[in-house]
Amino acid sequence: MADTSALELDRLRRAFGGVVAVDDVSIDVKRGEFVTLLGPSGSGKTSTLRLIGGFEKPDAGAIRINGGRVDHLPAYQRDTATIFQTGALFPHKTVAENVAYGLRMRGVARADIAPRVRQALDIVRLAGFEERYPAQMSGGQKQRVALARSMVVRPAILLFDEPLSALDLSLRLQLRAEIKRLHDEIGFSAIYVTHDQGEAMAMSSRVAVMRSGRIEQIDRPEKVFGEPASEFVYTFIGESCCLKVQMASGTAADADGAAIDLRLANGLADGDWRLYVRPSRLQIDRADLDNRLKAKLDFTEFLGDVHRYHFKAGRIELFVDHQGAIARRPGDLVDIGWRSADMVAYR
Amino acid sequence: MSGASETAALDSPAPRRTFWSAALMPWLLMSPALLIAIAFFGLPILFMGRMSFNAHIDQRFYVPDFTWDNYAAMLTDPTFRNAIWTTARLALISSIATVIIGYAFAMLVWLKPKRWRLAFVALALCPLLISEISIIFGWWMFFPKNGLLSYALVSSGLTTDKISLMYTEFAAFVGLTYVTLPFCFFILLSIFDGIDKKVLEASADLGAAPLRTFHEMLLPLTKGGIAAAFAQSFIWAVGTYATPSALGPDTLWTIGYLIQEQMLGKHNWPRAAAFSIVLTIGVAIVMMIIRMLSSKRTALNG
Repeated sequence: MADTSALELDRLRRAFGGVVAVDDVSIDVKRGEFVTLLGPSGSGKTSTLRLIGGFEKPDAGAIRINGGRVDHLPAYQRDTATIFQTGALFPHKTVAENVAYGLRMRGVARADIAPRVRQALDIVRLAGFEERYPAQMSGGQKQRVALARSMVVRPAILLFDEPLSALDLSLRLQLRAEIKRLHDEIGFSAIYVTHDQGEAMAMSSRVAVMRSGRIEQIDRPEKVFGEPASEFVYTFIGESCCLKVQMASGTAADADGAAIDLRLANGLADGDWRLYVRPSRLQIDRADLDNRLKAKLDFTEFLGDVHRYHFKAGRIELFVDHQGAIARRPGDLVDIGWRSADMVAYR
Repeated sequence: MSGASETAALDSPAPRRTFWSAALMPWLLMSPALLIAIAFFGLPILFMGRMSFNAHIDQRFYVPDFTWDNYAAMLTDPTFRNAIWTTARLALISSIATVIIGYAFAMLVWLKPKRWRLAFVALALCPLLISEISIIFGWWMFFPKNGLLSYALVSSGLTTDKISLMYTEFAAFVGLTYVTLPFCFFILLSIFDGIDKKVLEASADLGAAPLRTFHEMLLPLTKGGIAAAFAQSFIWAVGTYATPSALGPDTLWTIGYLIQEQMLGKHNWPRAAAFSIVLTIGVAIVMMIIRMLSSKRTALNG
């Protein structure tokens, strides 16, 4: 099976001073796969990418590209190409020269360079911009040049280092769709680093959720969202309400010990628990559901598609996304219900 | 009433006024700098130009006259022609050395982590805090037979006999390079600071080995800085006279030395002025050439 892997990371480790930035990271990227490293800042995702690109040396572990070990090779001898956050276009070269650069460095015949540059610029929809300089282009155009410059060399794996984070929202969504389209059409292998879960969910074959240098879970986006492997993954991906409760012989209290009216289908053992439910899965006025909580309406936010109702029960705060208005006023007691499958409990 | 004045303002006088203020505004804004430049640089050069046409009779400093004798003398005087050659050679070699050392040093500081930067910059500032005369005294303790250099070479076993480099062209060349180096360093460092380091990573990432990256990225991106640093070193080296005459051999006659000799030794002010004018024009020509050769957007071209 090793011959179908574009990239293998085997127990990769890198520390800066006393801080372990990358801790025992193993990933196997199949050819044509789009794997996203998702995590908060400082989770080691960019460090992992820099190890793959050859800009940092690992302390331990192995990196294999197309089956061959590369972790002893400098960046310029690795078959990778990075799309940097800021683009890092060469300011003194034209768009065409920027895109041609990697081909020249790899010794591609002069006659083959021009058609490949033209093709790459066509793909990113920048035909006609060949003679422009980077300073004459917008942020989105620059990132597309960076994309063309990296793709044109047809590397074993493309490395994306938060390429969209410097752009404004509409441009980000547009380029996100474009990268997705290119991946579907061309089928390149890629590692994509981001802290934006929307990007990760929308584009990836698989998502690796990282936290303090380690991979918490790596799976298809639906699995990561639907069956999070840990409390961290659950809270990091998507929105969630947290109910901190103390259970004592079947009755529930909030963190202060004040009793709350909480009914659960499956009883929990005595002790402190953190119960999580997504706000879209909470339902208002559903005393018939297996799990329910009586809570006071605090205030309402209008979010466009839905109203977000904020409730309080003792120290517990939660919010429910509900389509349409409900005839309740702040201070009213409301039954909030949810299905057992929609709840996870951690202690 | 107010309506009438408004229409009047919108009529023909208004565009003319904006035209005049648009034409005058740049000059108005430049005027303080322009006044200083004219008063402290333009006028002295003008006076010097006039002085160069005066006559030198007996032992008087100058006699008002209008003669080309001082310029004609330069063409026939082999001492002056040798001095031009000596000055140009010394300035050229020391400027090239300055740019190479300054470039390497600036690149090192730029590439090193930020925490080293202050130490390097302080090091580069040191020579600027000491007067040229003190620096010359320093070299006098460094180059002679019983100086530091000789001591270091003998005690390290590199040479068996004590050597003296004092009063050699090499000493003059080292002294000049030392004087111009800090300026060159700061010009180049500011140019390096304008470069995005990610560009180097991108170049390596696309398959360029370090030397190739230097040639494709750093060299073209710092071209203007190199020209500016060279021009600045060259002008400085051509004009300065204390360092080469104090460290070089007695026969090392630079133009600066000749001017000083005419002015203070022979009391021939018109001749000294003529030498100075030729030197000034020569430097201006070199500046123009460098400006034409260097790329469009540089410290020299703005």
